[in-house]
Amino acid sequence: MRQTLFLVLVLGLSNFMPAQAVSETNGKAVFDKWCAPCHGAVAPKNVMFGSGALAGTSALAVKYKGKLPAVLDERTDLTPALIKTVVRGGLYGMPITRKTEVGDAELDDVVAYLTRNRKK
Amino acid sequence: MVLPPNVSAADFNAALGEFRSAVGASWVFSSDEDVALYRDSYSINWGEPEERVASAAVAPAKVEEVQQIVRIANKYGIPLYPISTGRNLTYGGSAPNLRGSVVVDLKRMNRILEVDEKRAFALVEPGVSYFDLYNYIRERNLKLMLDVPDPGWGSPMGNSLDHGAGYTMAAFRDHFNSHCGMEVVTPDGDVIRTGMGAAPNSGSWQDFRYGAGPSVDGLFAQSNFGIVTKMGFWLMPMPEAFLSGTVTAPRHQDLDALVQEVSYLEDLSLTGMPQYGSPVAQASFGPGPGGAAMASLMQNGWPSSDALEAFVKAQKRPAWSVQLYFYGPEEVVRATWQAAKRRFGKAIAGATFQDGEFLTLPIPKEKEPTQPDKPRLGIPALEVFNMVARNPLTANDPADGHADLFVTIPRKASAIWESSRVLFEAHREAGVPGRQSPFSTPFTYYSRCFWTGTTVPTWRDPAKNARSRALFEKVMDRCAEHGWVSYRTNPAFQDLLASKYSFNNNSLLRFQERLKDSIDPNGIIAPGRYGIWPAKMRKTRA
Repeated sequence: MRQTLFLVLVLGLSNFMPAQAVSETNGKAVFDKWCAPCHGAVAPKNVMFGSGALAGTSALAVKYKGKLPAVLDERTDLTPALIKTVVRGGLYGMPITRKTEVGDAELDDVVAYLTRNRKK
Repeated sequence: MVLPPNVSAADFNAALGEFRSAVGASWVFSSDEDVALYRDSYSINWGEPEERVASAAVAPAKVEEVQQIVRIANKYGIPLYPISTGRNLTYGGSAPNLRGSVVVDLKRMNRILEVDEKRAFALVEPGVSYFDLYNYIRERNLKLMLDVPDPGWGSPMGNSLDHGAGYTMAAFRDHFNSHCGMEVVTPDGDVIRTGMGAAPNSGSWQDFRYGAGPSVDGLFAQSNFGIVTKMGFWLMPMPEAFLSGTVTAPRHQDLDALVQEVSYLEDLSLTGMPQYGSPVAQASFGPGPGGAAMASLMQNGWPSSDALEAFVKAQKRPAWSVQLYFYGPEEVVRATWQAAKRRFGKAIAGATFQDGEFLTLPIPKEKEPTQPDKPRLGIPALEVFNMVARNPLTANDPADGHADLFVTIPRKASAIWESSRVLFEAHREAGVPGRQSPFSTPFTYYSRCFWTGTTVPTWRDPAKNARSRALFEKVMDRCAEHGWVSYRTNPAFQDLLASKYSFNNNSLLRFQERLKDSIDPNGIIAPGRYGIWPAKMRKTRA
């Protein structure tokens, strides 16, 4: 009985323990490694097709035509659910990203980074 | 949940339990959500019963864990499908050949074991990407240049084992040819090292590829005879300088001489990968001049030689161009370009020359982001995806992926012209406008041959994928009738491709199958890869 109570307390308490804090700083590092080669600032400037253009940034520029920033980490409208869905499911030419590449905790950090300026 | 063929749910669960004991529970992925991450993002069978999906994935961190996984798989008859980074998109990605296989995801084996600047080699594990190796070299300021494929997120090991290629000198851009030494877990769970790696303490594993006796390294490329866990690569010493130059040739018939002269430079290792083009034609994979005029030229089928020369004259542009890329000391690259100009000028009346970019290497770090043509300078990037992502040409209907079909043709002008015509007609037969024209130019990744072909879009829409498959198979069949066969293909077409290497009733494949039966009697490793099936799954061949 005492052991059961102990387990209930421990397991119950664990639900209230804070999860490992997400890190915007690490999120930016993960973003720079895994996302920026396609979704970074366009380089060279103004190249939107062919050599030198970044696929993700160019694609979003073509899609949104200036209504939203083409550079992903300048967006203020991204939601955690959207980010996770696209990273884990892929979208158009962007492939699926596996957990051996970007783990769930790292993805949470990326979400924290990309939603840091989100308009409430 | 998908189960491996002929494996009970009880046995599969028992195997998963043993995999967890081998690598840790968090590195065995068996939930539907996690297994879905191993789908081929560019699958040409997305969402169809034929889609090649895994039953689970297991991610070892060291070679001993790979050995355990192989032994467990033998015990339960579980087919395994090893991937290094799983980024060979268009060629299958991380999805297995056989539905229900367990993917062995080697991404966690990501150590750069050695980079020797003086002897110019690297020894790496499967999960190391070109980005990783590049950053390692730059951070240490090592005077070495990588040869990278267009997408930099793949691994040197995976790319070379799939016969991938890059852009610099021929000896380096053939990535398998630049390897030196392998470590392989064999299908019975043993470990071998090839070449001088088989001689303990040789100190020359990455210096001499052959050792003594038969060289078996080639058996582990595009195959299913083992799981490669380490691989050495020869690297290019960082050249002092880079220089590019463009040659143009005025007439359609000049292509023959142009190819001869470029090949001379290639075979003497005087130029990096040459880039052929046609100023009068639409570029192969992007916008270019001549679109409307070319469409008009082609509207009545393949034009005559006279019509082609008249077309070129009317366009007031040269028929052909080739960009050359020189690597080495400044005096040498400038002298080589001078010598090239002299030779082209003598061989082709009316040839013109344009000096290109001169760069001192390495490119300063702060200039890298704005440097065009990064792969030609050994800088990994992902910019090539701009060609297939949503772009001004595909703004309303970007594809979800693509499947590439490149066939090998002889290195001569007549083969370029004939293959372009066959490709054009094959597209027309399939009801798709042919992208090829009499001014199409080949790829030169491998210096001794040309590649030509097509790329078809893939979708997450079965009806659209059915049309892409029909086109792909049509092109593969038509090309094979002329002896032009792919060097690499998506698992969906690997059986078809293997059937095209049909000399002496497919004797090469039958030999490979005998090896398979001997080395892997339980058919554990990647059944079906490049048409090599274990005996128990082999279809009766007519």
